[in-house]
Amino acid sequence: MSIMEYNGGSVIAMVGKDCVAIASDLRLGNQALGISSNFQKIFPVTDRIYLGLPGLATDVTTLRETFRYRVNMYTIKEEREIEPETFAHLVSSTLYERRFGPYFIEPVMAGLSRSATGGFKPFIAATDLIGCLNFAKDFVVAGTASSKLYGVAEGLWEPDLEADQLFETISQTMLNAVDRDAYSGWGVVVHVIEKDKVTTRTLKGRMD
Amino acid sequence: MNSIANRFATTGPIRELKKAQTRVEDDEFSDSVWGSEAGFGSLAKGVPNFTVPSVPDPSSFLRLHTDDFADPNCRIKIQHGTTTLAFRFQGGVIVAVDSRATAGSYVASGTVKKVIEINPYLLGTMAGGAADCQYWETYLGIHCRLHELRNRERISVSAASKYLSNLVYSYKGMGLSMGTMICGWDKTGPAVFYVDSDGTRLKGDLFSVGSGSTFAYGVLDQGYRWDLTDEEAQELGRRSIYAAGHRDAFSGNTCNLYQVKEDGWKFIGNYDISKLHYDGPGETPGAGYGYDIRIERTAAPIAVQA
Amino acid sequence: METSFALTGKGYVIVASDTTAARSIVKMKTDEDKIKVVSPHLLMSYSGEPGDTIQFAEYVERNLRLFHIRNNYSLRPSAAASWIRRSLAQSLRSRKPYSVNLMLGGYDVTIDSPHLYWIDYLGTMTEVPFGAHGYGSYFALSLLDRYHDPEATLQEGLATLKRCIDEVAKRLVVSPGKYKVKVVDKDGAREIEL
Repeated sequence: MSIMEYNGGSVIAMVGKDCVAIASDLRLGNQALGISSNFQKIFPVTDRIYLGLPGLATDVTTLRETFRYRVNMYTIKEEREIEPETFAHLVSSTLYERRFGPYFIEPVMAGLSRSATGGFKPFIAATDLIGCLNFAKDFVVAGTASSKLYGVAEGLWEPDLEADQLFETISQTMLNAVDRDAYSGWGVVVHVIEKDKVTTRTLKGRMD
Repeated sequence: MNSIANRFATTGPIRELKKAQTRVEDDEFSDSVWGSEAGFGSLAKGVPNFTVPSVPDPSSFLRLHTDDFADPNCRIKIQHGTTTLAFRFQGGVIVAVDSRATAGSYVASGTVKKVIEINPYLLGTMAGGAADCQYWETYLGIHCRLHELRNRERISVSAASKYLSNLVYSYKGMGLSMGTMICGWDKTGPAVFYVDSDGTRLKGDLFSVGSGSTFAYGVLDQGYRWDLTDEEAQELGRRSIYAAGHRDAFSGNTCNLYQVKEDGWKFIGNYDISKLHYDGPGETPGAGYGYDIRIERTAAPIAVQA
Repeated sequence: METSFALTGKGYVIVASDTTAARSIVKMKTDEDKIKVVSPHLLMSYSGEPGDTIQFAEYVERNLRLFHIRNNYSLRPSAAASWIRRSLAQSLRSRKPYSVNLMLGGYDVTIDSPHLYWIDYLGTMTEVPFGAHGYGSYFALSLLDRYHDPEATLQEGLATLKRCIDEVAKRLVVSPGKYKVKVVDKDGAREIEL
């Protein structure tokens, strides 16, 4: 039994054209036993950054609280919202603080960062459980279904997808990958982040 | 005592193993080894014999390589997660199973047939080692047919299950893994027997086997009565498998439902468990078994009133 | 084995826990109350490592009381649940963690609604309409999926609880004998004879 598989759950983030999407399943389990079908693993950080926290459920809640606190402190001190790149490093260093007794979480983040010209640039990143950053240009995955997500995403993702196409791609990727994973599933939630709005949809997934 | 008995025994699996070992060493192969008799050739002369690893202690060697609980990286993966159930009632026997096969957390298949149709009057269910169940229940089918030919009457469910039980018991300790229910109809009426690879054989009205069995029992026990109608009984079987498929990570995908009556078994249907959750067995959207779906259904009329 | 159930209904939460205190293979006591009224509208059932359970339950009880004395009002169920969860999560990474599983049922008087939280010794928390801890959960959860109604009256709720208790008594090898049942609603917490 792996501690990373104790509660189950998976997250994926994808880049589109001037938009990003992040999706997770909704299962909370105790190994094989399903406990809740409404356990959120993705949390808004700012209006344009979402953070997914798959892994041990106690650390999902703890880290969510930690990041909310630290981002609030950053906002107050700097008198501006945190940028995705900065936030990624905050995530990384927060995890490395616990290098020798880690949080059992592999964070995935998605956001839009402000470019020098005033426009927005898609940003996704993931880290391992002690904070090694991985900036990807296409998609990042984590959680118990990660190997399955890689397979489907490699097949479905293509560059420069519009928001609605990106939603379709990430939804199909998530739904089909979690159906092949015993520890993920029980519903899926998808967030699509665009420059002026965030669309959140809960998908009807398999419930077994 | 046993070891002495084994050393001088001329029959039984341990003797057969010894024989098989010498045969492998002598490089003597019978035709059956080459598959000319569909894999059952080894049984043609009565007691089946299998080639075994030529090591001093074959059973512990096998255990080392098949126990994926102790060692997840072991070479031979045996299918574990399952939910199967069978119960007797006024109208015969209901047999219901799921169809998921998992290897670790990977859902290897969602379309496994876990009911083995031994003959038109006998069904066997499959939990534990898929190959073990399939092979030995097919083998049981052969012997049930031979019994019919020899005695000009069908074998009783009791005798058939006893045959299987004795057979797997003779391989005890060799790593066979099966938990099965032998269900059918004979002179005595509907019958269900639980047989497992430990050698346990139980006669009963209601059994459930597998990782999801506790969840199935929860629904089954509460809804079970002897005088259930056929429709009610089928619904109870479906609901119980749904309940297990929902809560247990290693059960799910679809439900296969059978009913055994006086004139033999009948396949009732294959039901997608996700569809059972949302829409139920029929075609009405929103009539599903799922908790949230049910609550929404009962809450809706109140909203209309208000 | 230790088992506890809890379920919500129309304006109430029922929390039930077995009453055995076992040590090794011996039942030391068969009428132990393992549900604490931790604040006027909050019930907490606890199970797990003997010693840890009572110590942690009393720690929670006293801290919630302290909050009440200092501020002249009680924490709402959601806030109390968050605090308790955090205590367990912090304890998990300490030298000697509390090994306690909880069902936390409360009635939020500010918004007039019942709340139930499932919390385990790791600090995993989720709000549920019904829940269970221990081996009993493997039998009761599928049953509750089938029979639980969040709009049920207290009588109906207790009937559903009875089903759970009967099922566990029927199927669990080492099933607990007696259960203590408590209810919390707008009038506060009280014990109920089943």
